[in-house]
Amino acid sequence: MQSKKTTNQRELKHLKSALKSYRYDKKSKIKVGIPRALHFYRFFPFWKKLLEELGCELILSPPTYKQIVEEGAFQGFGELCLPVKVYYGHILYLMREYPELDYIFVPRYVSERVEGYFCPKFLSLPDVIRTLPNIPKILTFTINVKENPISNSIISLAKTLGKGQREALQAYEKAKKYHKQYQDFLRKGTPVGYALKLVEKDKPFKMLKKKTPKNIKFLLLGHGYNIFDTYVNLDFQKKLTRHGVDVLTIENLPEILFKEPVIINKQFRPYWLHEDEILAAIRYYLVQGRKEIDGVIFLISFACGPDSLIAELIMRDMKVIRLPFLQIIMDEHTGEAGLLTRIESFVEMIKRKKRKLDEMKEKQDLKIFEEA
Amino acid sequence: MIVSFPNMGYSWPAFKTLIECMGVKVVLPDPTNREAVKIGVKYSPEFVCFPFKVTLGDFVSAIKKGADTLVMAIDCGPCRFGFYHAVQERILHDMGYKNIRVIPLDQADLLEFKWVKTLFDVTPTKNLFLYTKAVKAVQYFIKKTKYIEDISTAEGLIRCYERNKGDTTRVVKELLIKLDKTNKINELRKFKSVITNDFKKIDIDRSRDPLKVALSGEIHITLESHDNLDIRRKLGEMGVQLYQNLSVYDWVIHKFHLNFHRKWLEYLARPYMPMDIGGEAVWVIGEYIDRARSGFDGFIHAYPFTCMPEISARTILTNTLYKKYNLPIIFFSFDEHAAESGFRTRLEAFVDLIQGRRKQKRQKKEIKLEKKSKEPSYEVHGGSLYNSIFQFIQAG
Repeated sequence: MQSKKTTNQRELKHLKSALKSYRYDKKSKIKVGIPRALHFYRFFPFWKKLLEELGCELILSPPTYKQIVEEGAFQGFGELCLPVKVYYGHILYLMREYPELDYIFVPRYVSERVEGYFCPKFLSLPDVIRTLPNIPKILTFTINVKENPISNSIISLAKTLGKGQREALQAYEKAKKYHKQYQDFLRKGTPVGYALKLVEKDKPFKMLKKKTPKNIKFLLLGHGYNIFDTYVNLDFQKKLTRHGVDVLTIENLPEILFKEPVIINKQFRPYWLHEDEILAAIRYYLVQGRKEIDGVIFLISFACGPDSLIAELIMRDMKVIRLPFLQIIMDEHTGEAGLLTRIESFVEMIKRKKRKLDEMKEKQDLKIFEEA
Repeated sequence: MIVSFPNMGYSWPAFKTLIECMGVKVVLPDPTNREAVKIGVKYSPEFVCFPFKVTLGDFVSAIKKGADTLVMAIDCGPCRFGFYHAVQERILHDMGYKNIRVIPLDQADLLEFKWVKTLFDVTPTKNLFLYTKAVKAVQYFIKKTKYIEDISTAEGLIRCYERNKGDTTRVVKELLIKLDKTNKINELRKFKSVITNDFKKIDIDRSRDPLKVALSGEIHITLESHDNLDIRRKLGEMGVQLYQNLSVYDWVIHKFHLNFHRKWLEYLARPYMPMDIGGEAVWVIGEYIDRARSGFDGFIHAYPFTCMPEISARTILTNTLYKKYNLPIIFFSFDEHAAESGFRTRLEAFVDLIQGRRKQKRQKKEIKLEKKSKEPSYEVHGGSLYNSIFQFIQAG
């Protein structure tokens, strides 16, 4: 009897320990949800590498669709800008579809440069998201170079995930390296949507087959969450390519352009980081690269604070240089037909202009030929 | 060289002395009116915040009066305010005013003393005595802003008691002109007694029982009476005692790192918003908690349409703080499409509601003592002028 009992106890003990280890295994993978909105289009490779190195399992919300926008618009009140409403929608989706999530990742980006800021809505993003009803725990880290270096905030992020300082720093190094690779890959001319897909599926960075360059080349300005979110902008890039236009975005431009600070005014330096990049890109095309592109399109979401002033400055510069410029403002009520008409007319206008310039050139060539 | 600056409520005498003490001629723009707003709206970008459009209109009216140098405050913070002068200068140049200079007055941190350079930029003659002039200018400026703050607090306290409508408004106007004319340090030191005496002359009805309401929000909108459709006067005439912390003095002292009231508000707001995100967002949240604890009847949050920081503050206020503290709150976002009657209806409805709420609360109190809440509660505190006016009201 006794021996039987002891064996039973032994088995039980063994089972318990096995269960414990199983639970531990399950727990060691912390589930973190990432909404596919706002900074996702800019920093996702960095986050992915960082969080996976710290032992998390990432769950992404799907690309934006109608219900997400509607829910987000219902949650946020009217004056909020569209990207933040979409962000709300993605977070609500994650809460509904994945109730087992341990955390939702909402970073706070304050500044990446000593004399700079992001938009105020990014500064208070975790605070605002925290006020939503029945929200699970929020995983947040603050990037504020003014107060402490990025590595410090990553160490504190690792602490909440139960990891030590050494692992945190290693993960940071790896993430930084990976993000650099990603950026270099973009600068070779790959579209961001394709590159993000590669990152999502853990595939190596492989170039797309080069298509034959098209006749017209546009610079597409704007924030990542406006340009690459194909539902919000009604697949704007595809519409342009269908009309025979090659599209450049800021991410595809060489790094040298952004190194020199932009000067608007003698006494004053602009401080928004995204907007600085936009201004730097446009500065290059206004001065040296004037002939490399045929037009500029600026996508703005309604009630975007920084863009409202930047667009005004760019528009005034364009009037002086005489480069065609189209400014499109989007909100959740976008009608597709109106957008199509605007694109068609803009592209048609530029085609006509090009044709006329070519004819003039031919005539000049003929004249030179005859004179010779 | 003739210098001008945009309107911001009652603060014009202070800014005028600041520049006049440097020995420069000053031209004031017309008080903000419909025409100025129209011009501002026409030339500014479509959806910038409302103060941008108004100040642009003010600039144009000042230029038409003969000004050639314009001073605009800037803040290198995260909000749009820092870009104002750069874009406005560009727009003014494109409008055809080629020789206009817009000088930024850097007030990101006043202890960096960048504003001294601005003051020197404004003066045409440059010599050694400029420093003494600058010291005098700042001394007068701070004294006058303090008195202007006093005038506006007294106005808010006393208007709901006045027997003849419009008395307080008249007194305020006269006091501002008097303040503008006193340019000797001895007279300035005694000006506080002038303010109290003038306000004590108003015929008041002490039997009234006004509601206590706090006004907060973006600084330009809450101070400039044309922009906020004269919300202070309208509320006062509806029988509401208005409390407002915001003023130029409050802001300047804060930027000298000496404003401990704002530090207290930041402390209160820290669990909900740990950092300054521009505008008045942090202090609005802090003030809401502060007012709820000191037993107010209502809270008004006024801000320009699509103001980025204030909208973040509004989301936090509606989603969590209102449920926790239960202080009635109303939001007003102002822009150029303001309709007077609709605004009035909303205000009246709000005042009616909080009146009913107070009545209910008092009846409940008679039946049983109120439950002791966890949050500490305290009385409203104010400066010496606040106390003297308060005693005057209760003395009858």
